[in-house]
This record gives sequence, C-alpha cells and structure tokens, in this order.
Amino acid sequence: MSTPVAGRFVGQSVLRREDPRLLTGRGTYVDDITVAGLVHAAFVRSHVAAGRITHLDIAAARALDGVVAVITAADLNAGAGSLQPTIQLHDPSNAPLRALADGDVRFVGEPVAVVIARSRAIAEDGCDLVALDIDPSAAVVDPEAALAPGAPLVHRERDSNLAQEMPVLLPQYDEAKARAAHVVRATFRQHRQTPSPMETRGIVAIANPASGELHCHLSTQNPHEARLVLARATGTPEHLVRVTARDVGGGFGQKFMLQRDEIVIALAAKHLGRAVKWIEDRRENLIASTHARTDVTTVELALDADGHMLGAFVDELEDAGAFPVGAAGGAASAVGAFFPGAYRIPALSWIARAAWTNTCPRGAYRGPWMMETVCREQMVDVAARAIGLDPLELRRRNVIATTELPYTTPMGMTYEAITPAETLEQAAAAIGHDAFRTEQQRAFVAEGRLLGVGYSLYVEPCAMGSMDPLGTESATVRVQPSGTVLVSLGSGSHGQGLETTMAQVVAEELGIDVDQVVVVQGDTDVAPYGRGTGGSGSAIIGANACRAASAVVRDRTCEIAAHLMEAAPGDLEVVDGEVRVKGTPTRSVAWTEVARVAYHDTARLAAGARRGLEATESYTAPPVTFANACHAVTVEVDARTGITTILRYVVSEDCGRMINPMIVDGQIAGGVAQGIGGALYEHVVYDGDGNPLTTTFMDYLLPTASEIPAIEIHHIETPANNPGGHKGVGEGGAIGSPAAVFNAVADALALVGAEVRDQPLGPRQILAALTAAGH
Amino acid sequence: MKPAPFEYHSPATVAEALALLREHGDDAKPLAGGQSLVPMLALRLTRFAHLVDLNGVGALAGVELQPERLHIGSTTRQRVLERDATVAAAVPLLARAAPHIGHFQIRNRGTVGGSLAHADPASELPAVAVALDAELVVGERTVAARDFFTGTWTTTLADDELLTAAVFPVWSGDVRAAVHEVARRNGDFALAGAAIQVSVDDGRVARAAIALFGLDSTPVRALDAEAALVAGESLAAVAALAVRDVEPNDDIHATGAQRRRIGAAVVERALQEVCGG
Amino acid sequence: MADHDVALTVNGEPRRGRAEARTTLADFLRDELGLTGTHLACEHGVCGSCTVLFDGDAVRACLLFAVQAAGHEVVTIEGIAPAPGGPDRGALDPGAPDRGALGPVQQAFMECHGLQCGFCTPGFVVSVSAFLDECSDPTDAQILDGLSGNLCRCTGYQGIVAAVRRAVELRSGALPAAEPSESRP
Repeated sequence: MSTPVAGRFVGQSVLRREDPRLLTGRGTYVDDITVAGLVHAAFVRSHVAAGRITHLDIAAARALDGVVAVITAADLNAGAGSLQPTIQLHDPSNAPLRALADGDVRFVGEPVAVVIARSRAIAEDGCDLVALDIDPSAAVVDPEAALAPGAPLVHRERDSNLAQEMPVLLPQYDEAKARAAHVVRATFRQHRQTPSPMETRGIVAIANPASGELHCHLSTQNPHEARLVLARATGTPEHLVRVTARDVGGGFGQKFMLQRDEIVIALAAKHLGRAVKWIEDRRENLIASTHARTDVTTVELALDADGHMLGAFVDELEDAGAFPVGAAGGAASAVGAFFPGAYRIPALSWIARAAWTNTCPRGAYRGPWMMETVCREQMVDVAARAIGLDPLELRRRNVIATTELPYTTPMGMTYEAITPAETLEQAAAAIGHDAFRTEQQRAFVAEGRLLGVGYSLYVEPCAMGSMDPLGTESATVRVQPSGTVLVSLGSGSHGQGLETTMAQVVAEELGIDVDQVVVVQGDTDVAPYGRGTGGSGSAIIGANACRAASAVVRDRTCEIAAHLMEAAPGDLEVVDGEVRVKGTPTRSVAWTEVARVAYHDTARLAAGARRGLEATESYTAPPVTFANACHAVTVEVDARTGITTILRYVVSEDCGRMINPMIVDGQIAGGVAQGIGGALYEHVVYDGDGNPLTTTFMDYLLPTASEIPAIEIHHIETPANNPGGHKGVGEGGAIGSPAAVFNAVADALALVGAEVRDQPLGPRQILAALTAAGH
Repeated sequence: MKPAPFEYHSPATVAEALALLREHGDDAKPLAGGQSLVPMLALRLTRFAHLVDLNGVGALAGVELQPERLHIGSTTRQRVLERDATVAAAVPLLARAAPHIGHFQIRNRGTVGGSLAHADPASELPAVAVALDAELVVGERTVAARDFFTGTWTTTLADDELLTAAVFPVWSGDVRAAVHEVARRNGDFALAGAAIQVSVDDGRVARAAIALFGLDSTPVRALDAEAALVAGESLAAVAALAVRDVEPNDDIHATGAQRRRIGAAVVERALQEVCGG
Repeated sequence: MADHDVALTVNGEPRRGRAEARTTLADFLRDELGLTGTHLACEHGVCGSCTVLFDGDAVRACLLFAVQAAGHEVVTIEGIAPAPGGPDRGALDPGAPDRGALGPVQQAFMECHGLQCGFCTPGFVVSVSAFLDECSDPTDAQILDGLSGNLCRCTGYQGIVAAVRRAVELRSGALPAAEPSESRP
C-alpha cells in the first residue's frame, strides 16, 4: 500500500477562501436576496395526517390588507407539469404527487394553499384567516402497520401502501444456513430523523412575463437539476430558466432533489408574473421538508462454529412517507445489496420493501442507505455475544484482508483498493481495546459503573458513476487574458469548501498558484451542466472533471509556449507559473505571458492556432468507488439516570488521496456528530394519529458542543482507481457513527444483562432496558 | 415564523404598567426578558393584542442586600445572579442555579421575575424560590413562593398584577448550595432537578432546604427529606424521601416513573456535593 | 398598527428605521438596515444563529423586538472585527473586508476550520467574542458550556472548539499561525 505524496496544493490543508466572507456576515444566502417588487409567501398546511378537505375558504385572507394573492390547487395543479426529479421521471413506483393538496390531505404539513403578501408576517396573518376544514380519516404512521392487511390507503390511486418491493433470494444463502453452527436473528428499528440544515429551504422566484424568463435563487445542492425540474413543472423552456445559489447553509441530502414547496412557489411566481420569496421556517422544516432513516430491518446471520460468517439474510423495510423525494425503496435495496460491507459473507439473500405512510416525505440524508451499516454492525455485536466472542474478535475473523483483494461480493461488486482490516486494527489500537476491557471490568466490579466499547466497520459506496445523471460532472477551466483562471462547475457546494479544493486541484494540474484560480459554481447560466454536490462525489467526479479540463488547458498552454520558445510541446512543463523546458529551467515563458498572447497578441500564435485558452471536459466516475472506515467509541452509561456519556471517539478511515486534509477531517467530524445526534438525541416523533410532536428545536434535539466529544481521526491513504486517486468522504462519518455508539451502549448494558433495541438511546430507552433487566 | 400583530407599550413606571394591564385585561401581557414569551408569540402558540414592556421601568431592576434578606427586582437579568458577588455571598443557591438556566445568551436577557412568573415547572428559579421560602412581591401584597405556583405555567398572579420583586432570606453560618439536574442536552429544561441549600454547624447539617423541579406541575418542596437530612439519615434515604410523593408526567423524553428515578439520583448527588468534604 | 420609528446605534453608527411592533431585532437588522449577516435558523431562540451584542451582551436577536432596541447599542457580525484603524470593534469599514480585516475570533475560525456552510457562523463568532471578553482564559469545560448556546450542523464542533482555543492565543497576542496550517488541534 502506497501513501501518496502530497502535491504543492493537493494534499495540503489550504485555508478556505470561502471563509472571510462567511466570517464577516458577507455571505449571500437565499434569504439575503431581495429584488424590487418582491412579495412573500407562507403556506397553509394540513393539520391532519389523512382526511378529506370539506371546506376551504380564502376570502377573509384575500381581503386582508397587504395580501397579494391566495393560491390553491385550483389555481396551480392543472397547469403544472411533472414535479418529479429527473432520475425519477419514469419510475412507476412514484407516489401521485401534486403541487397543492387537492380534495384530500396525506400528511400533517402537506401544503394546501399559499398566501402571498407584502411581508412574511402578513402572509402568516393571511394563513390564519384561511378557513380549512378537514374530515379526518384513519392514518397509517408506521411502515409495518401500513403493510398490514386492511390498512388505510395513503394514496387512493394505488392498490396498497407497498411502494416498492425487490426480493433477491438466492439458494446459496439457504445452503449456508443449513450448514451453519449458529444462526442469529434480530430485528433493528432505526428511528426517524431529519437532516436539519441550519439554513432551511428557500427560494426567490422571479418570473418575468415579458421575456418569459424564470430566475430562481435557491438554497440547493444541485442547481442544474433544479433548473430541469422547474422547467418541466412550470412549462418554461429550459434555456429561460436560471437557477442561482451562492452560499447554501447546509443540505446533507435534503436539498439535493428539488421539492414540492419550492416548485409551488415558482409556479405561483409564474402565475402572478412577479417575484416571490419563500423562506421555510424551522417548524416547516421539521414537519414538512424531508425525514430520513426510519427503517425496520430483520437480519439473519449464519456462522460456522468458529464464528466465520457463512451467509446473511436481510429483510429491510423503509418508511417512504407520503411522497418520498427520490426513489421509494431506493435506500432499501441498497441496504440489501451493500449489507456484506467489510466482511467475507459469501452468501446473501435480501428483500427490500418501501411503504407509504401518512408522514412527512422520506428524503436523502447523508448516507441514505446507512441502515446497512447500522443493522450489520449491531448484528455483529449481537452475534458475538450470542456465540461468546468479543465483538472485536468476531470482526477480526471476518474482515476482508488486503491480501484478498480484489474481492467480489455476492452481489458482484468488486473491492480493489480498500483497507478495512487496517482501519479496524488502527481504531482498536487507538482506542486501546485490551486496556479498556480491563478497566471496564474493574470499574464494574469495584464501582458498579457501566462502561462500554463499540465498533462500526464499513465500506462505503461513493460517487455512483453508473447512475445518470449523478455520475458525471463537467468543468470549464478558462484562462483569462490576465492569466488568472476561472473554473466553472455545476456543483452546489453547501459547506464542502469546493471553492478551495477544486482550485487546489486546478492549480496543481496547471502548475500555477492556487490564488490565481477562482471557482464559480451554483449558477446554471455560468456553469456547464453538472450533477450537483452529493453522494460523496465531489472529490471523485468534480475534481477529476477539473483535472481533465486542466490537462487540456495545460497542453494548449504548452503548445503556445512551445511555439514562442521554438521548443517541442512535449519537452515543456509548467512550474510555479512558468512554462519551461524540462531540465533547462532558464528557458521559460511566464504563464501570464502565454495567456496574454493567447488573447491579445494572437499574431504570435502558430498558424491556425485557436485564440483564447479554455476547455470544458467531463468526467464520469467508475460504477462505484469504495471508501472504508472503522469507528471505535467508548461510553459510560449512568445507570441511575439513563444518560450516556461518550468517553472517547476514534475514526480510522481511508478516503484515498486527500485533496485537503483539513476539510476531510471536517467532513468526518461533522458526519460523526450527526450520527451521535441520531444515536443519542435526535428523534422525530409522531403520535398514533400522525401528529408530529417534535416541531421545534426545543423538541428535536440537535447536539450542542457539550454533547460531542473530541473526535480523533486517523488516515490511511490508499489511492482509488481514478486519475486523482480520491474516494468519497462526505457521508462516511454519518454512516459509521450510529452503530458504533449503539454497540458501545449495548456493550455497557450487557454487563448487567440489559438489552436495548429502541432508538435513540435516551434515558427513556436505556432506563426501560435496565428496568426490564431488573435494575 | 412571525408573531401576530400587537400594540407595544413601554411604560416608565410600575403605576403606568399596571394601568395598561388594567385597561387591556387579558388582551395584555407583560414583557420582561421575553426568552419564553417571544418564542411562543413567534410560533403563534399564544397572542396578545398588547405587550407591556417592563424593561423601561427602571425601578424594577436591581439587587439590594437588606438586613437578612436579598431583594431582587423582577427585571433583574438572570446573568446578574451568576456575576454578582453579593448574590453569591447572600444566597448561594441562586448563584448555583443561575448557570443552569438556558445558555448565557438567554440569561443576558432573561429576567428573574419573568422566570418566576412564567412558572415553568422544569425551570430552576421557581424551585429556588420555593426551597428558600422566598417572598414574591406583587404590588401591595406579598405571596409566599410556596403559594405562588399553582400549576404548569400558572400562578396566583392576576392579569392586572405585576410581580415586582422576589425577596430571598439570607442564611447565616456555613452555607452550602448545589443544583443538580439531568437534561437531554446542556441547557435544556430538566427532566429532573434538585436545588438544595444547607447550613452546616460543627460538621452536621443544621438547616436544609430542598426543592425539586421537572418532577411535578409545580416546584416541589421536600420538607420530609429536609427533616430527615437534619436528623442525620443517609443521603440515599433522604433522596428517596424527596421523590416519594412527586407525580411526574410522561413525555417523549422519559416516563413519569423514570423521572422519579432520575430525581432520586440528582437529589442524592446534590446532597453529596453539599454534605461531602 | 402604526409602525415605530427606531433609532439606535449599530456597529458604532447611528441608524434609524421603521418597524412594526412585532418586527424582531433580527428582521429589522436584515430587512430594514440591510445587515444580512445576522441569520435566522430557528426564530424561536434555540439555535443562536442570530446572536448580536446588545449593549455589550450577547443576546438572541430573534427574541428582541426592534422597538425594544431603540436607544441601545447593537453590534452585529458585520461590526465584530476591529476596524482597520484601531482596536475598537465598533467602527466598521463598509467595504467588503479583505482577509486582514478579520478579528482574532474570525481569524481563529478560519485557521481551525471552525465553519463549513457558514450559516451558523455569525452567531458563533459573536457569541465567542462575548464569551472571551468575559472569560479570557477558559478551561475546556467552560469552552464547551460557552459554545452550547449555538447550534452547528456541519462541523461536529471540533473546529469550533479548536478555534476558541486559538482565539485565546490570538487575543493574548500570540503570533498568527503559518498558512497553510498542517498543525491543527
């Protein structure tokens, strides 16, 4: 295994150029945009999970001073085109999505009407004056209940609540099970969570009835995709739709696909022929944007007498909510297919199902299918306890060794450049496993304290190159006459620091200083078509697109310089802003001089040479690039209060060649904190009638600095098979952390024979487990 | 998330404020620090046609040490309780409780009177007032803290009355205080909390004040537990006594029974702090 | 209901504007005064994104009404850095600041990767500035407690905690770190 040598810029912790504007309040988020004649929108939303609209009277709201319009389904729905994301356009399993609720409602928070007024406050006053009566009917709030015979239908247009079902049942698993010494079965329920970016969703939709243009400022991860959806939904030709997003205050998947609410605002803007702003408030974000996780998974693991895994069966059911954003069952099938993770599991069967419920739509959230790690890694610990092995030992017996690579999983996926065994050992050493076991026993015997250690080992599929349009990014690298470089990308950075990292890549490839490179993104009029930012893809897809375009520019630069110096292009290199003859650095021409000649002294170009200096290139990723990591955590559970305290948190990870280690660490730490939040604090709660109970930040508990421990991060850098050698890193922290925390708590509780399966692991769940065990 | 419209009044005196409250009855609400009221307005969980801002009533703010008592004006910021050396010396339990209230940004604006009048059963200051037999000054009348709190967010304060001050007794001797609570996150309202002040004489607890919060619809004074502590019973026994009669509610964070269990733990830990060493 | 005329001092300068009684200080700063660095992420007093200094103390600008700020002094994220001419954090160059215009807390956040999406960042910078004004050499426990009134969803707080430690050094006159910095806490 080789560790890549850091380049002049790639591999360096270059400080972020985004930061000065963001640190001084000079960022530009969507709510900072204002235009002449702007009016403000607020939604009237359903207060009932399921029911028939019996009365909708907007007269009083319409009459309120300052209200511009009150818009209902009757105004918008018939004229709206498809509301689905591009990747879902022809998916027969799509829920029957509509712009505004029409005739009935299907979850609490579903938009029923839009009040547009001189200010947001007046728009809310107007919402209060809209008379909305709903005759409630029985709601289904739970995916298992949704699939029970006789369950009320979420969508009357469909025959059942089964949104998607994909069985992959192979005889090899049955054979493995038949010869197994141990078959361990358990069901894991992952509770409902929501991404909660600090900036909620928002749009300023500017419709120009004279020109036909529709310009939308959006908080989005994916400007080009948003443009396509807006063009289809509003019936506007694609070239007349412009989407811009300067600074975006977090997304975590929630802002990858454009959602219904923003589309409705664009439709309303077009309907009114003016500029409309909608900034989602936090309550709306918590009840009506997207929720995530919410899986019920039964796992059966077959092992031989020595604890070697022979096969696994996974029955995964995902709660899709009423109108899932993205594919229903998209996560569920990945849970089955990716279940083996870092282990030698030669036989696999799985069933993936998704059920509609009368709840907020399911949407992507940082590692949308991370239930594969949550259920697998908990299962490893359950199995280890069942057969009397230390969970670390069971992992050691089954982890795929580097010497076994390339290794092909039962689903036909081949691992080439991963290091799960190395990360497992690095994490175990860093956490001090053996010493911790000694201390755990001592603290329990001498003081009755409950300490625990947990691991989570995973292989993460990143940057799915085979998933059009998500697998390809384009970059335009444009050298300007001054020699500075403008890079245009279709990405939608929302905290990843792409303005810095992509500039590092381009500067490295061109041989110029990073400060000479500016990255522009988030504007469909400026950037070439691109995939947006998500799916742990920017380093692999975006950076390699930058690299490809830079290579063309560099070659053309050398051609021009070669002509100027009467040298052969192949003999030239660009170093520190000088194009020079290899081995004879005194023969050189400045980068800036080449740029000047290319635009302003074109007589000196070779005959027939094109003037100017720019290139647009694209890069399509391999079908899957695998990253891997191991998380190890120690905790103390306070048996009297049910409070869990994290003692130490260690990550050992391999994301290939790092572009900016500082940013890599930041991505990992952020993901870990979200996973800890999910494991211990965050929980979207519905009552049995489908009423959300966690509608503010007082109830939906994002962790604060006090709840997140110091996170120790260790790197193993194994280059992946792509030009830059990169793997993805955005999602991994959130994928690995929940199971590590669950396992650590379970390890602590096992000291007194208590078992906890309900999540999150708050005092309610932990004290219930302790009480059940007689403590 | 914008409040419904209201009319804003900024009286300069208590008399003006009371006149406004009388004039507008239950359409009016006094606004002190606003750290609980304004979120409820923003969420439109409540609305009032008139807000009477007390922040301009200079006479309501300030801490004054009087003979054997500490007089705290109702719009005194909670932050003063943790910063002011006079408070820490005179009523140690107030100084110990203050850092548990929300976060420092909240305490910079939140007021002592506002917290008492808001009467959230999971908040600290009502429990401190009940523990120490504070007297709450409501215009001409004075109400004992134990009679002030009637339920979750309810007190004996009428719509046209103002809480103008809280008066805490100053204990003499070797006085120690502790506040322990369990919340989901740092700064959250407590699932269960204990506010305890004792005076120690010759190594023994001579006087004790124990109140619980988050464990019932009002702060709970644990008189039997205080007596047991002074009688020298074990801390675990005192803690068990303290939570014996509380009736906590279930919510999404814990069942009532679990809260009682947590309550016993926080009482015992607070006792260990004040009695140990 | 009639608007109120609100005159106050913002970032050292006298400002005035019109506000409905219900208009929060945060909305007033953003919409009436054009100071959009004060962000709203919850509008109910939990997240801390809208933190400003009010007569020197850090407060939630979403929990104050603009009318209440009349006659008071407010410092927003736009005014938290020392002016180029002197140490007073009040006066502000209205032009977009270059990197040199960062105050010590801002500089520390940049060096330690204490921000990602940047939306919560103004609230953190203002809160940390106020926190360190009062507690110039905090313990780790004090740092975590001092940060707990602000929510960040991106960083996992690692860079923020490190930034507070670094800001303590910078405020005490320690030399700036080299750039790029490989030696992160």
